[in-house]
Amino acid sequence: MKICALIRVVPDLVEGIEIEETEIIPFRFIPNERDEHAVEEALIFKKKCNGTVDIIGIVDEETRDDEAIEEALAMAFAKGADKLKKIVLARKTSNRMEIAKAIVDELKGYDVIMVGIQSIDSFAGYLGGILAVLLGARYIGGVVSVDFRDGDVIVEKEFGGGVFGEFKVKTPAVLGIVSAENPISFVPLTKLRQAMRSMEVEEIEVDVPEIGGVEVARFYEPEKPEIVMLEGDVEEIADKLIEVFKALSIV
Amino acid sequence: MILVFAEVIENEIQDITYELVALAKKLDDDVTTVVVGNTEVKDIDGDVIQVEGVLEPWHYLIAEKLFNELKPDAMLFANAPFGMDIAPQLSAKLGVPLVTNVVGVKRENGGFTATSLVYGGRVLVDLAVEAPAIFVVNRGYYDAEEGKGQSNVKKVQMDVSDGVELLRVIKPEEVGVDISKADVVVSVGRGIGDQSNIELAEELAELLDGALAGSRPVIDQGWLPKTRQVGRSGKTVTGKLYLALGISGATEHVEGVKAKNVIAVNIDKDAPIFRVANVGVVADVLELLPVLIDKIKELKGIP
Repeated sequence: MKICALIRVVPDLVEGIEIEETEIIPFRFIPNERDEHAVEEALIFKKKCNGTVDIIGIVDEETRDDEAIEEALAMAFAKGADKLKKIVLARKTSNRMEIAKAIVDELKGYDVIMVGIQSIDSFAGYLGGILAVLLGARYIGGVVSVDFRDGDVIVEKEFGGGVFGEFKVKTPAVLGIVSAENPISFVPLTKLRQAMRSMEVEEIEVDVPEIGGVEVARFYEPEKPEIVMLEGDVEEIADKLIEVFKALSIV
Repeated sequence: MILVFAEVIENEIQDITYELVALAKKLDDDVTTVVVGNTEVKDIDGDVIQVEGVLEPWHYLIAEKLFNELKPDAMLFANAPFGMDIAPQLSAKLGVPLVTNVVGVKRENGGFTATSLVYGGRVLVDLAVEAPAIFVVNRGYYDAEEGKGQSNVKKVQMDVSDGVELLRVIKPEEVGVDISKADVVVSVGRGIGDQSNIELAEELAELLDGALAGSRPVIDQGWLPKTRQVGRSGKTVTGKLYLALGISGATEHVEGVKAKNVIAVNIDKDAPIFRVANVGVVADVLELLPVLIDKIKELKGIP
């Protein structure tokens, strides 16, 4: 089974972002969390089906050498990925149809492609489902585990509220991963540094077609509704919270 | 004309479908809802095309047939398990623009202006969208009641096939309380730091006669069972109080927060959870919790 997982980087919201009318300026990038789960699940699935896993970073000129993508690839390599690639988009775009068309040729030949179900900047499409159609593959999202039984790919899809559907999926397939079946594992820093030194990353530059149909008019912050903020030191805040609990007849 | 694709899970029409119908009615007088399922359809307002069968991720093939036949200006899907699967595949098949995480749509300049909520609920983006278009709409932005009414149902059969097959539905064993029915829910997020700190939140939940819940990062870590997850993929809390401890408040999470009162504690003053809370505290939950627990114990006379 030939498997690949895609990984993208997104602004780190903990570090903060600057909201300009026509763009979002990050202070720092981090790997897209759902893609990290896709990588983890791909590495778990590799063992189940005795396959190979390629990890493919989807980057643009701004992020191609960012430490977030380098570390994500190194982490995957240290955990058992077979091959690492970066697909470098010649033009930055949020339009998932444009991204899918730009990268589709590089994803042909895989039996299973795993990608995070969405990322925090998904306003113009979800990549997985679009890619599947362009590849002539099946798609299922909301996936929380992937098994290999009697030659079939069996996935669990989240329906919500702790309910799941178990599906048999013919390959080639694109799976939109929401979370890996195990928590994301990490390797020690020394092993990560070793992986960064020894890993080889193939870089592929691709043009991005202009499809349009969805154009950003403006980015802005949502209005802040009125809220009572409790202030003071921890002791004072605890007292104030207890007063709120009392008012609600909770204590 | 606007087509609505109903979200049906286990043969049950999900409430967000009615919200989609409410939005569709604001956009056009001519609205048709597509329901894939064997359930009895009686309260979706207006025309309904019911396709017999069980909704599957590959039913974009059904949506495609109806889209080509009815030629709508827009098709609306729910930001929910099947809407998120079907809409992007349909968009790629038809070559039609797709807008996701939508919280508002208006007609403008022969097309649409849509607003999406992104970056973990911190940013709104207004988008100019060409018609026809596909919108995947978040829960909680349109009144479901406005989408309810008399249904005019036409039943059809469609033969479509793909390589994805539902084998079985796996239901959880409900252990302990159901957080969707609890009056007080104490919920923990990434800010709880470590699994060992969950005990503190559990102690507070017990003192408040409440249930313990969590956001997705905590569930992903396996620190709490999936039945305790609040949000789009989890359960909706509707009780008297939701106490969010160290939860940033991503869109997926706050969709499940419908409690009458929401108290949020977070170290980040810009965390989106403060947009849905009526009482907020900017503090480290790990510093606050031990003090708060001691004070409640003292109040209750517990040693």
